[in-house]
Amino acid sequence: MKLQLDEYAYLNTPLHRWDPRYKLISFMVLIFAFSFVHSLYLLPGMVAVSGTLYIVSSLPLSFLLARLRLPGFFLLMMAVLLPFLSGQNALFYLGPLAVKQEGCLDLLLISVKFLCILTLVIILFGTTPFLTNIKAMRALGLSSILADMILFSYRYLYDIGDKLKTMETAMKLRGFLRRNLKSLGTLASLAGTILVRSYEQSDRVYKAMILRGYGQAGGTRSGPRRDEFQAYPRDLAGLLVLVFIAVAFVVAEICLR
Amino acid sequence: MNSKEPVLSVSNLSFSYPDRSLVLKDLNLIVWPGERVGIIGPNGAGKTTFFMLICGVLKTTSGEIRLFGKPVVPGEFHPEVGMVFQNPDDQLFCPSVRDDVAFGPRNLGLPEEEVEARVREAFAVTGMQELGDYPPHHLSGGQKRMAAIAGVLAMRPRLVIYDEPTSNLDIRYRRRLIHFLRGARETMLIASHDLEFILEVCDRVILIDEGRIVADAKPREVMGNAALMEAHGLERPHSLVPHAEPHHN
Amino acid sequence: MHIPDGVLPTAVCLGGYATAGAATWFSLRKISQKENPREGIPKASLLTAAFLVASWIHIPVPPASVHLVLNGLLGVVLGYYAFPAILIGLFFQAVMFQHGGLTTLGVNATVMGVPALLAYYLFRLRNIFGKDNRVGTGLFAFLAGAGGIGLAAVTVFVLLVTTIPAHMDVEAERASIYALTLAHIPVMIIEGVFTAVLALFLQRVKPELLEGDS
Repeated sequence: MKLQLDEYAYLNTPLHRWDPRYKLISFMVLIFAFSFVHSLYLLPGMVAVSGTLYIVSSLPLSFLLARLRLPGFFLLMMAVLLPFLSGQNALFYLGPLAVKQEGCLDLLLISVKFLCILTLVIILFGTTPFLTNIKAMRALGLSSILADMILFSYRYLYDIGDKLKTMETAMKLRGFLRRNLKSLGTLASLAGTILVRSYEQSDRVYKAMILRGYGQAGGTRSGPRRDEFQAYPRDLAGLLVLVFIAVAFVVAEICLR
Repeated sequence: MNSKEPVLSVSNLSFSYPDRSLVLKDLNLIVWPGERVGIIGPNGAGKTTFFMLICGVLKTTSGEIRLFGKPVVPGEFHPEVGMVFQNPDDQLFCPSVRDDVAFGPRNLGLPEEEVEARVREAFAVTGMQELGDYPPHHLSGGQKRMAAIAGVLAMRPRLVIYDEPTSNLDIRYRRRLIHFLRGARETMLIASHDLEFILEVCDRVILIDEGRIVADAKPREVMGNAALMEAHGLERPHSLVPHAEPHHN
Repeated sequence: MHIPDGVLPTAVCLGGYATAGAATWFSLRKISQKENPREGIPKASLLTAAFLVASWIHIPVPPASVHLVLNGLLGVVLGYYAFPAILIGLFFQAVMFQHGGLTTLGVNATVMGVPALLAYYLFRLRNIFGKDNRVGTGLFAFLAGAGGIGLAAVTVFVLLVTTIPAHMDVEAERASIYALTLAHIPVMIIEGVFTAVLALFLQRVKPELLEGDS
């Protein structure tokens, strides 16, 4: 569970130095432009752009690969289903099943898009500390209730995850084996206890917070602090470059349709 | 029980987490039936890790741990060892104390009458009878501690491990726990920072620091050695400091 | 269950963000009507984290094991905070565990969150039986849990099947939606039972967690 997302956020590359607000906007624009692409001719371009950005980010390749394991299952499922289900033109037959041309092309399109977007997301969140990214979102106008909730949940996520692990160990030491559906009730009590403990903890956390002035008018919570970030012309230049690339993809896609 | 057979024998035990240096280095230890062994040492000395290895939750890097003559197999269920966690909340998860105490015996596959009997016995030993139908979340800190102990004792373990049992206890529950432990028959390992408590309960003390056993002797010998204690971030308990006018006998 | 990046057409993704935005706006408006909206934030956040953690518990369904989605339960416990909580939970899933995606965040949040809100309204019907009636609580928690996941699953399948394989014929599409939905009935039952047992646990141990607008 301890896959640290921002383990490499303290490297020093142009991508790391980029103002997080500009980086966030640029990457989101590029990600949406990628998701707009349907033409197979643009796929090599997408791979080139995300590959180059990944190289510039200096994140190790193993970091990317470790994060591909989980979503890999989804791709595998697609790879099993799509070539058989989609299209009319059979490429060849696997026993009684026809492998269809359109299905294979659909699969190619989906997996390349998926991998490119995932790479961009990993660069985006791998080159900035997570909390800085959330602050950048708040500076860009994310509702402060939502931003607060994200910050709190992030703070307690690992804490509660560790609690769950300890409780599961304690149960195991008293001989609990999850062998069949009969353990559903026990597991529901476990989940319920996690909820109750978190709820009780939140009460203590809240009390400790108001004692230190949380929610007071004029306090830190009165709005996004824009001076937290400072942008230079090069930040804007980066934004323009990525937006230009994004627009190029969209225009090319429209022309190729 | 064969009194010649050690309860726990640890030989040349080393352990490290995947990405860190050695947490435990070449530990050797033999615990005999009926011993109450106190384990002291500064925070991060490796006490809890050591317990997790004995229970088979973690896998040794090298060396061997035997319980009652049999090697500990990681991941297997060892009902002869019970562990009372530092935070009772980690252990109590059932809607009522009674269900929680019955949880272990049920997992042992005992018939329902036997489970009942075990629960009654555990309640009697820990003095929890009246609280059986309470949800654990409504108990006080001391009551939670006793409920967690009852949940472990109901499995009739022959070795019980206590991780910081006096943390968050008031004076009355601490005293009650001391009486309870001194009267208990099981062999036990007790980690605690409460040195006066160790002094009252244990008949042997092991000092662990930086993953090694630094001392292993009678409580008064180890904890009365001010130089040794201070070298490992501890203090000599007040009752072992020589008094000009003796008031501890 | 969560739709990853690169699968849905951009229009659907943007539509998802629009509906998720509307639902978030609706929820936040309901929240800020309360006396002290700040008070709910730590509670809702810790429970958001707790729900995310609870969804890591794997449930043995021989021969495999499944993870629960718990969106119905989220509605039952969090009330109007459920939608923001799901949005945040999915955001974490997407960026930290690469489960789901950023472009599809809006779609996923709508698909999981709207049924959660409906589950909340459904669960409130237990008051017909009185708050302390265990049968009523169990029954409506089951319906909320099973309904929450059921509605979400059907929506996901419809979205996936109608948008991905661009070259599939209508008959095959309909057949696969039915098949996938049928295959999900056991999951609905498990999720419903789990939600019911958990709601009864909470009613006994911490009833205020079921009041819905904690």
